[in-house]
Amino acid sequence: MAFVNFQNVTYKYPLTKTPVLKNINLQVNEGEFIAVMGPNGAGKSTLCYALAGFVPHFFKGEISGEIEVDGKKSSESTLDEWVLNVGLAFQNPFNQISGAKYTVFEEIAFGLENIGVPRNEMKDRVDEAMALTGIRDLADRSPYSLSGGQQQRVALTSILVMRPRLLVLDEPTSQMDPIGTREVFGVVRKMAEEGMTVVMVEHKVEWIAHFADRVIALNEGQVLMEGKPNEVLTADLLPEKGFGISRYTSVARQAQQQGLWKQKQLPVTLFEAAEGFTSKGGGGSN
Amino acid sequence: MPERLSFHIKRDSALHHLNPLTKLLLVLTLILTAFLAPFYWTPHILAVLFIPLLSILGKVGREYFSTAIRLILPAATFLFAMQAFFQPVGEEIIFEFYFLDITRESFLFAFSNAMRIVVMVSAFTIFLLTTHPSELMSDLTRRGLPGQFAYVIISTLQILPQMQAKAQTIISAQRSRGLETEGGFFKRAGALVPLIGPLVFGSLVEVEERAIAIEARGFTSKHVKTSLHEIPDTSTDKLLRWFLTALILASIGLRIWLS
Repeated sequence: MAFVNFQNVTYKYPLTKTPVLKNINLQVNEGEFIAVMGPNGAGKSTLCYALAGFVPHFFKGEISGEIEVDGKKSSESTLDEWVLNVGLAFQNPFNQISGAKYTVFEEIAFGLENIGVPRNEMKDRVDEAMALTGIRDLADRSPYSLSGGQQQRVALTSILVMRPRLLVLDEPTSQMDPIGTREVFGVVRKMAEEGMTVVMVEHKVEWIAHFADRVIALNEGQVLMEGKPNEVLTADLLPEKGFGISRYTSVARQAQQQGLWKQKQLPVTLFEAAEGFTSKGGGGSN
Repeated sequence: MPERLSFHIKRDSALHHLNPLTKLLLVLTLILTAFLAPFYWTPHILAVLFIPLLSILGKVGREYFSTAIRLILPAATFLFAMQAFFQPVGEEIIFEFYFLDITRESFLFAFSNAMRIVVMVSAFTIFLLTTHPSELMSDLTRRGLPGQFAYVIISTLQILPQMQAKAQTIISAQRSRGLETEGGFFKRAGALVPLIGPLVFGSLVEVEERAIAIEARGFTSKHVKTSLHEIPDTSTDKLLRWFLTALILASIGLRIWLS
């Protein structure tokens, strides 16, 4: 039995006419790192809310099918119980700052205060989480005085500190520079290796190819493709449906049409492209 | 970056180390005694002697006096003038100005009322100067105040300056598109219209996201909440609270007994 299990999930927000999620079937194993990608309006954020229990418990609306995490059914649970198992961090970091705290350290401790963690343990856990995401030097700053990227790290840390079994991230690196992005992917990968299950919506395909175990391509509320990162990210179908793809894939695809790319698999990252063009049987030598 | 909306000044004083509830009770005692004590000079003594001493004890004397001079005294003077001139009591006129006059009774009445207001505002000022808002709220939450209520107070204090900053951004954006925001009164008032829409509706959208964010961090969890900071509540605090309660009861009692 998979750790996360979506069975024929169809969902419609209260004020919309057409469903946002259409008949979604999805299985995620414990400790797996899944990346979800898709064009605007594909239902990525709604999928995140559904995983985190906010669909339907917070947004209401009509839902059919069954969502299960760790053997528990979302329909039979309440939101306040659900969030203990499933952590959610989303795109806009500014709105994720609680507003009830004056320093970053207190901000990260906010969730632990709410679930009644004793004071000493709380301090240790906040320290540990801040060290993990590399924001220890921000501890005494006001969360509002930080840059967008720093705020996103604080938002991620605030969720990590609660040690959810399933971590749901909706574009957690949208305001980060490449170094920040790399670090966040590194942290998430590490958490997955320690047994945390991760579902992350992300557009940065090269990082997905490098770090994720599996990719789900979502389009118009349905799962268009799923599979190993390199298979999904290099599929011909993606650019046709308006997905952003790696420039290295595009280049290699053009090269392939002209007979210059001779590998079976198209590349996603710069490294794969360089390797493919220069290796034996590749096209780089002429 | 805009400053947060809090008067709190971090110092190391006896007043800072008191429990927030004790301080709140002290404020209440000061106000009630100033208003209820049956002796005419009570509010004056409190305002002129006790409050300044209290501010020095709290090591916020400088901040308190600057607030007093810039804000409290002008307000109290205005209040005094209004009541002194327009209180229709007494016969013995001690000051005349065209059709306005002050009688002995209205003077005394206005003076003590102004002093009461000084005591009230000053007591709160010193309280705010020496108490961190989140400390106050966690202490009250621990004593049974609903967490939602405390959250509303604290987040308002923090979010207001953010909204101010956002209003500034919207104004700049509208100006860069040619909106005129300077000029006469009506021009300025008209410039507010394209500000209010984005600001208000934007804030409403934000509220939803913020609700999700704090919910994701267990805000409505049924667990008993804990607090990161330990808030002092010593035996001195408890003793002081009994003493202050007794003072409040005494001034109420005296008032009833003597009237």
